[in-house]
Amino acid sequence: MSSGLEAPLLARWLSGVGIMSHLLLASMFIGTMTFAVVAEYRHLRTGDQDWNALARTFAVIATIFLGVGAAFGTLVEFGLVVLWSNFVTLIGSGLVLPFYFELYAFLMEVVIVPIYVLTWGRFRNGWYHWLVGLVAALGALYSAFNILSVMASLSMRPPGLEIVQLPQSIGQVIRYAAVFTSPAGALNMFWWGAEVFIFHGILAALILSWSGIAGITIYSHRRSPRPYKLKALRTMLPALTGLIAIEGFVLGHLQGELVLQFDPLKLAAIEGLFWSGLRVDPVTSFLAYGDTTHAFWGYFSWPASIRPPQFLPAFYLGFMVAGGALLGAWSLGLTLYYYGLHRIRGLGWIGRIERLLVGGAPYALVLLAALASVGGAVTSEVGRQPFILVDSSPSAAGPPQVTGIPVGPGLYNPTLALTPWLAALVFAVEIAMPALAIYMVYLYLKGRAIE
Amino acid sequence: MNAVQLATVLLAWAFGVHIPLVYTVLGIIWTLPALEYASRRDGRHLEAVRGIARYLIAIYAVGGVFGTIVTVFLAGMLPVFTNLAGALLWPVWATAIAFGVAVALPLIGYWYRTLGSMSPGRHAALGFVTAGFTTVIPVMFRLVFAVVNYPAGVEVVKDTSSLVGFDLVVRDYWSLFSNPTYPPLILATLLGAVAFANALIAFVYGYRGIHPETASASRRIALSFGAASALSGVWYLVELYYYAPTMAWAILGSRPPTIPAALAQVYEPTYSLVAEFAAAIALGLLSAALLVASGRARSRALNALGIMSSIALVIDVEEVNLLAHLPYAIIPPVSAAEGLASEYGVSFALAVAKALSASTMATTLDELASFVSEFPAVLYFSMAVFALFTALVLVGIYLALSWRRPAPREAS
Repeated sequence: MSSGLEAPLLARWLSGVGIMSHLLLASMFIGTMTFAVVAEYRHLRTGDQDWNALARTFAVIATIFLGVGAAFGTLVEFGLVVLWSNFVTLIGSGLVLPFYFELYAFLMEVVIVPIYVLTWGRFRNGWYHWLVGLVAALGALYSAFNILSVMASLSMRPPGLEIVQLPQSIGQVIRYAAVFTSPAGALNMFWWGAEVFIFHGILAALILSWSGIAGITIYSHRRSPRPYKLKALRTMLPALTGLIAIEGFVLGHLQGELVLQFDPLKLAAIEGLFWSGLRVDPVTSFLAYGDTTHAFWGYFSWPASIRPPQFLPAFYLGFMVAGGALLGAWSLGLTLYYYGLHRIRGLGWIGRIERLLVGGAPYALVLLAALASVGGAVTSEVGRQPFILVDSSPSAAGPPQVTGIPVGPGLYNPTLALTPWLAALVFAVEIAMPALAIYMVYLYLKGRAIE
Repeated sequence: MNAVQLATVLLAWAFGVHIPLVYTVLGIIWTLPALEYASRRDGRHLEAVRGIARYLIAIYAVGGVFGTIVTVFLAGMLPVFTNLAGALLWPVWATAIAFGVAVALPLIGYWYRTLGSMSPGRHAALGFVTAGFTTVIPVMFRLVFAVVNYPAGVEVVKDTSSLVGFDLVVRDYWSLFSNPTYPPLILATLLGAVAFANALIAFVYGYRGIHPETASASRRIALSFGAASALSGVWYLVELYYYAPTMAWAILGSRPPTIPAALAQVYEPTYSLVAEFAAAIALGLLSAALLVASGRARSRALNALGIMSSIALVIDVEEVNLLAHLPYAIIPPVSAAEGLASEYGVSFALAVAKALSASTMATTLDELASFVSEFPAVLYFSMAVFALFTALVLVGIYLALSWRRPAPREAS
């Protein structure tokens, strides 16, 4: 693509890697915090001290991910101000509400999580402490809710949001504004289509983190079996399987319908509909409409200047769909195995593949979850290129007209001189920060009796 | 409530929490290695160092998060200003955040983890290196404050293709450091942070009746650095008088003669902050008196009052510094206004001044202000939430200071 619409490739890579690293840290925080609250709930219901120890361990791990993640979030935020400085005007003019509500979530996380950890065992009634943890976990989820609503708006322009191209720039910098037609329209940042996107993202975060935790726990359990590890796996794996099923069959389907409505070009790119003009595609038609007769505009129906890259089917169909399906199957197999169902007649085959199923699980769960997550993120964010706030409108003469603000001079900081060595330095930080968090978790677990 | 008032209220709250937190971080990060170094032979302050370090770890991220809240308010309430500031001053932001996140955070973690496992002298040296890198953060952020006081190094270039008729350009980033308001500002910040952190250490230990030796040392540090910080503050005020006359007018209550009578209306401040400035002087003197008194008489009431007066002092000074800019987001220098008027005409100079005002930066494209005016309950709810969380921050600080490591337990 050489339309002149795009910002320097280096800046895109910096943002892409930075956002992926932040997503990893945020997902791990959401997953560990949620598990801590689940574990403490089970402790309070059963009086089992193993659950108490697990809850406390995961609460501290969540705090580590929160600390590094919050710092990294600041890096990403300033990255936005420095690299995509003109996006800030769009925030202020149209997308501000989720950022504003995000402050509540931010405060819930950053103030309540340390209080949750520091008040362990200080409440006479443990349910009060659990409530503190629940508020912290809800803060984490609410934070994801708000940020994902902004990301949703980039792929699907919320109803009532209008893009205004200024007749003249402001100081050669600001060229676009995004404004709602009425003040109450700002609430449309949370319209139902955005909510599908949001819950798809939240479930993806939980699946990624719980897959990682389950993989590490299985590895640890195989090396030194302990009852508490088994208890953790028996809780986590069925939940993981259920989440993957909801993600794939319900939210994934709804998300696909939204892509069809808002960005048919993205649909063509990710599904690999590489033709020009209208053509019937039985498989896509069946998935979208439940029959095999519908025709779709092919990828080459749109001008080359606005087409997203052609490699997207590898990320969407290969990594996200196939990786996600395999992850779900593996997780289901592990659930059956850890509940001993392979001893039931007819399910004995599960026991026969134990070596592959359980021995390979630590690697498979982590790898497949990572692939599916990367695939999903790339599909979502690269698939809408070269625009943000994408919308489409029917066209009498050809394919629907796809519009938005180009990810280029209208958003990119025109005064920035991004040299390769500077970019390399930032890349190093972006990769080092999640590594630092993982190392801190390792040090913490090494120093505890419960590993 | 209009957009500027809303921005003022929200930013004042966020600064009011952020600044005391980061002042303690900055002050403590220099104080801890100094105390360690002083303890290298007899270990007299080491127990106190461990306790204060725990506070540092607990509060570093919280302080940073409130900084992020400031940025969100800036982006939401003053989008044009934040956009231009990002585009113009990107090396400043980038350096601050690179040092704050990439360098200072791991260094502080490493310093904390190696506390007690290295000799105090070597560990103190590591602490000073950490403090040096951490100080880059305020050194950069205060540069932005200096630029909005007096935009040295920022040029106004007439541009008919621009909606506001001009562009702001920085041709040489080093020239930003030539800002005359910058040296006293950064000096007052660094000295004030050390004074504030040590005043709190002295008052908290005095209140709890522990670590008398450390409390005494901190009391002396607080008094001497506080005095030096006050002198830097006077220097800052002198520079504002000459280079940021709107601020000087707001703080002192009368038009400085550096503003020609013809431009009086252009430079008139929104608020008179004479009472707040007087309160800052009174709080400074009160804090100093309480420091001296708490060293002579053991009184929990004196120490509690000292904690409150020193926190109130820091908040008051910062709010005065923040609000004194209004009606401007970036105060146009008198010399530049005169230069533009003679080169391009008075109307162009006035247009530039208007474009740099907070109301232009806030109301041009402000969705949040429109939303809040339609649904004022959102603002009231926010105020309640923010007040609650401010109280919870204090609870968290208390818990961090009183936390003891639990004995590990073997799970079954």
